[in-house]
Amino acid sequence: MPYRLRLSHAVLIGLFAFALGCAQTAVAATPATTALSPEAKSATTDTAVSSSQLNFELDVMPILTVAGCNGGPCHGKSRGQNGFQLSLLGFDEFDFNSIVKHARGRRVQPSAPDTSLLLLKGAGVLPHGGGVRLPIDGENYKTIRRWVSAGMPRATEKDPKLIGIEVSPRDKILPAKARQQLKVTARYSDGSTRDVTRLTAYQSNESPVAAIDQVGLVTAGALPGETAIMARYMNHIAVFNVAVPLSGKVEHETYAALPRRNFIDDLVWKRLERLGIVPSPPCDDATFLRRASLDVIGRLPTSDEVRKFLADKSADKRTKLIDDLLARPEYADFWANKWADLLRPNPYRVGIKATYAYDQWIRESFRENKPYDQFVTELVGARGSTFRDGATVLFRDRRTPEETTTLVCQLFLGVRLDCARCHHHPFEVWGQDEFFGTAAFFGRVGYKGTGISAPISGSEEFIYYKGSGEVLHPLTGAVVPPKPLTGSLELKPGEDPRPAFARWMTSPDNPYFAQVAVNRVWSELMGRGIVDPVDDIRATNPPTNPELLAALAQEFRNQKFDHKKLLRTILTSHVYELSSLPNPRNTWDLKNYSRHYRRRLRAETLLDAVCDVTGIPEEFAAMPERSRAMQLWTHRVSNLFLDSFGRPDPNQDPPCERVSDSTLVQSLHLMNSPGLHKKVTHDKGLAARLVAAGGSPEEWVEELYLATYNRYPTDAERRAAAGLFSADRTKHRAIAEDLLWALINSPEFTFIN
Amino acid sequence: MSALRNCEGVTRRNCLQLGVAAFAGGGLSGLLNLQAQAATQAVAEGKTPAKAKSVIMVWLDGGPSHFETFDPKPEAPIEIRGEFDPIATRTPGLFFSENMKALAGISDNLCIVRSICHNQGNHGAGNHYMMTGAPTRIPVGCGAFVSFHPSYGSVTSYERKAPRGLPGYFSIPSVSRSGGPNFLGAKYAPFVVSDDPNQATFRVRDVNLPAGLTDDRFMQRRDLRKLVDQLPRFAEAAAGDPVLAVDSYAQQGYDLMTSVEAQQAFDIGREPEKLRDKYGRDSFGQRCLLARRLVEAGVPWITLYDGGWDDHSDIFPRFRTRTPKLESSVAALISDLDDRGMLDSTLVVMLGEFGRTPKISTLSGSKTPGRDHWANAMSVMFAGAGTPRGAVIGATDRNGYAAVERVLSPENFASTIYRKLGIDPDRIYYTPQGRPTHLVSDSTPIKELMA
Repeated sequence: MPYRLRLSHAVLIGLFAFALGCAQTAVAATPATTALSPEAKSATTDTAVSSSQLNFELDVMPILTVAGCNGGPCHGKSRGQNGFQLSLLGFDEFDFNSIVKHARGRRVQPSAPDTSLLLLKGAGVLPHGGGVRLPIDGENYKTIRRWVSAGMPRATEKDPKLIGIEVSPRDKILPAKARQQLKVTARYSDGSTRDVTRLTAYQSNESPVAAIDQVGLVTAGALPGETAIMARYMNHIAVFNVAVPLSGKVEHETYAALPRRNFIDDLVWKRLERLGIVPSPPCDDATFLRRASLDVIGRLPTSDEVRKFLADKSADKRTKLIDDLLARPEYADFWANKWADLLRPNPYRVGIKATYAYDQWIRESFRENKPYDQFVTELVGARGSTFRDGATVLFRDRRTPEETTTLVCQLFLGVRLDCARCHHHPFEVWGQDEFFGTAAFFGRVGYKGTGISAPISGSEEFIYYKGSGEVLHPLTGAVVPPKPLTGSLELKPGEDPRPAFARWMTSPDNPYFAQVAVNRVWSELMGRGIVDPVDDIRATNPPTNPELLAALAQEFRNQKFDHKKLLRTILTSHVYELSSLPNPRNTWDLKNYSRHYRRRLRAETLLDAVCDVTGIPEEFAAMPERSRAMQLWTHRVSNLFLDSFGRPDPNQDPPCERVSDSTLVQSLHLMNSPGLHKKVTHDKGLAARLVAAGGSPEEWVEELYLATYNRYPTDAERRAAAGLFSADRTKHRAIAEDLLWALINSPEFTFIN
Repeated sequence: MSALRNCEGVTRRNCLQLGVAAFAGGGLSGLLNLQAQAATQAVAEGKTPAKAKSVIMVWLDGGPSHFETFDPKPEAPIEIRGEFDPIATRTPGLFFSENMKALAGISDNLCIVRSICHNQGNHGAGNHYMMTGAPTRIPVGCGAFVSFHPSYGSVTSYERKAPRGLPGYFSIPSVSRSGGPNFLGAKYAPFVVSDDPNQATFRVRDVNLPAGLTDDRFMQRRDLRKLVDQLPRFAEAAAGDPVLAVDSYAQQGYDLMTSVEAQQAFDIGREPEKLRDKYGRDSFGQRCLLARRLVEAGVPWITLYDGGWDDHSDIFPRFRTRTPKLESSVAALISDLDDRGMLDSTLVVMLGEFGRTPKISTLSGSKTPGRDHWANAMSVMFAGAGTPRGAVIGATDRNGYAAVERVLSPENFASTIYRKLGIDPDRIYYTPQGRPTHLVSDSTPIKELMA
């Protein structure tokens, strides 16, 4: 679920379809509609810019953008449409040339503006595949007409430049079915502003919660919820956040009385109060012990650990437990396993020994609780042998600056740059300049030794700084110097740019680095990222609780990127302890953490748990005896159980992502797989051992419950289960086995509650 | 013991002991008779009976080129028409690309629609549009696996019950990107058969009891599970309790294990060797055969997934090597259905998420040419269930850029499929949050296919 990594391959070339404008007309079975409704007046009630003189940048580009002309499905496509090409979503001066200079100038006729191809086609006077985009009686048509007859002026140095837009209000709580008109204001370099509400394209992330029409009127839905609405004017994006709270009032005292262990509680309660959501009470001790153990070290507590914890009367025993768990050796394997999901290359591609070296480097990093910034710095600046210096395998796997860029930016910055490689991202601010500016940091990675010759790729390779190497811009062919996404940094001559890039990433000024890291960890522990998907941080995918995300990031920086300290902060909050049981005022809440969200155990954890409770370890190829599933260093170690429960498939390149959903195949596997059957009925298994050791059925039942559910059976459960054991002693072992099977096959076992 | 009995009063294990052959006559044809009766009854009651009892959807993930399949453009300039020649089919005036020989040989059973188009040029969104009939609600990226709307298969299994114990929706050998149930819930997710029917050892994993476990003991375990499973469930759908899905799957698992029909359908080894050869002795060919057996058993939706049609490079060698195998298996499937009199009640469709760019291009970093994504035109193959035999509908322009005649949308495509199945595409579903959702926003089917 939360660990998501999608790396594009050839499919980058995909043409982005922005569900706007042009989108509707490509389906020509329905009559063509324009992106602006007929009554929508054009544009620009100018507040400060007096624009008797129209120009291309300020007046024409916005019309082409809102009408969808430069959208992905139309002329914004990488090869244009019917010979007429615009830059995707209107960014470059490319577009001016396309309109004014190309096609022998047929597209504009200043002497007879109405005969301009641009207008004839746009208005549908001549056949136009995109339908009528500029109705002939509309303001937009007139604006472009005026611009053409004025001789297609461009903005000059003196003209103001668009520097940003603002939407107002920025966020609002709306009662169900209420309406709100948005206003979008463009700001210019000379300090002037314009109202561009009607030249803005809008989109609601969840229209059932709050819908928006073409002129910026928001209508709240009938049901509670929250969503973001994106407003895009030219290459600028602003977001309006709207919440539709549950009706009925909750007194402030309810929230004031809630416990506050640290800033997390404070910020979550604040959010809940705003939405009128009431949190669930804390969970009981047994649930907490099971949850924390699975979350921190990926294993169930033993029956003895459960007995001891439940008997402990001290007030701070939950905090003590967290500290104990963080000190356990399993911690490293469990968290390294999660990181291996993100970094692990296809072994068929990079070779098996390199895969092993990489895995060991990751594990060692978690064993020594390496600060996260150091972890990342070592990785992106790795040098040495792919057999001995595990971190170098990143570069064995990602063999071009471009490939490294997409991986590094998505993993460590939560910025998805892969679209920007070919075109501006329609809902992001990054473009090719940023993409190749970043790629340039990886342009001097040298390779020596045997490269990739999949599927064998057996030999060693050395990664080093080769001192030269440039990244070229694909359109201009110019050398692109290294330039970070934000801010600037100085490179000394002869300096390997990679460590410098790492310094920039990990510096306190970089807002993304810490945020994406804490968001991942939070998502692992809480069942959903504050930003979801966890590695997709952008204005148009806003966090559900921005203050919390910022505070966690700040805390992580203050902690000097100590992973264990971050975990401790979250795990010792009151919010982490909440019960999963909903109440009438938080049932529908799936993203504000008013209760704990149930999660299925991930594949490795579940298999380890089955082995632990039955007492029969799994045998893995290429692993020492009694290894745990979470210690596997490659998915090439075949295992049907792990495949059924959704570990990533290593045969794909890049390996596909982990699936956390439940499936029918999983249910059948738990019920019927020969492997699990053998463990449950094994002569040395838990059931056999219990019955052989003597004692009473009540004691056996208690032990089975403690081992699987990590709690004592209730009296009713104990009586009912013990009652199954008849006088016929020969059947006792079989009954104990069946009981164990039943417990393992129940969701109380397979879920973190 | 009793709970393991199926409706015919025989336990599953007995059935296996007796051998499936004993039931191959009675069990299955009896079932088909029942369905026929139901259809007659529907007519008597004034409802239109479904033309298609089942749909087999061959999904060519990645977006197969229309030029290299059903819409060759021999008149186009060299940089568009590609390396292949058109070949004549059994339908006068209809030409396919040269690697579609087997399908050309049965073109009098096919109806090719050349003019479906949409506006979602990346895989994530294109998959969603063509697999659900609805565009993605928010823009998604190329690699996305997204679901905003239930897939055809899920809707079909929701609307059209499969025989007891059999899932109504199979996806073989994996689930397609947007092939999930969305708000319809886990019960209508596809049952994925990843095991390879081309292997001698083929069996559907974990559907049988492990060796050494008796039926009786399994029943006892099942009762015990009920006894120990006391975890509270949050019944309200808005609470999003993931445990509900597990309950649903557990029930489906029991049903599947005790289903005679399922055991029979999976037993592909009972097919004559000659017929198995005809389908092609490879994974895809035998999966086609398995699909036919599932149709016989009454499964209303089967997706046959075949990936790797995203031919940005190396398009011509790849088509040369892989297409003949695939298309001859599909042709064998259609002919076999026809021979058995099942084609009139089975709809076979073959498509991907979009077509490919007219201009052949070589991407930077690639040495061999290919075609890129192109949603302005694609070809979709139909066969059976009353679709015209030997017809072509719609056309692209002379260079294959855009659908220009009978321009059709994914919604038209979706509505055609639903109407064939007797499902009203105009109906409204309610999501767990109570939001009304049109099954298909434009419920107009492709009328030429509905005659």
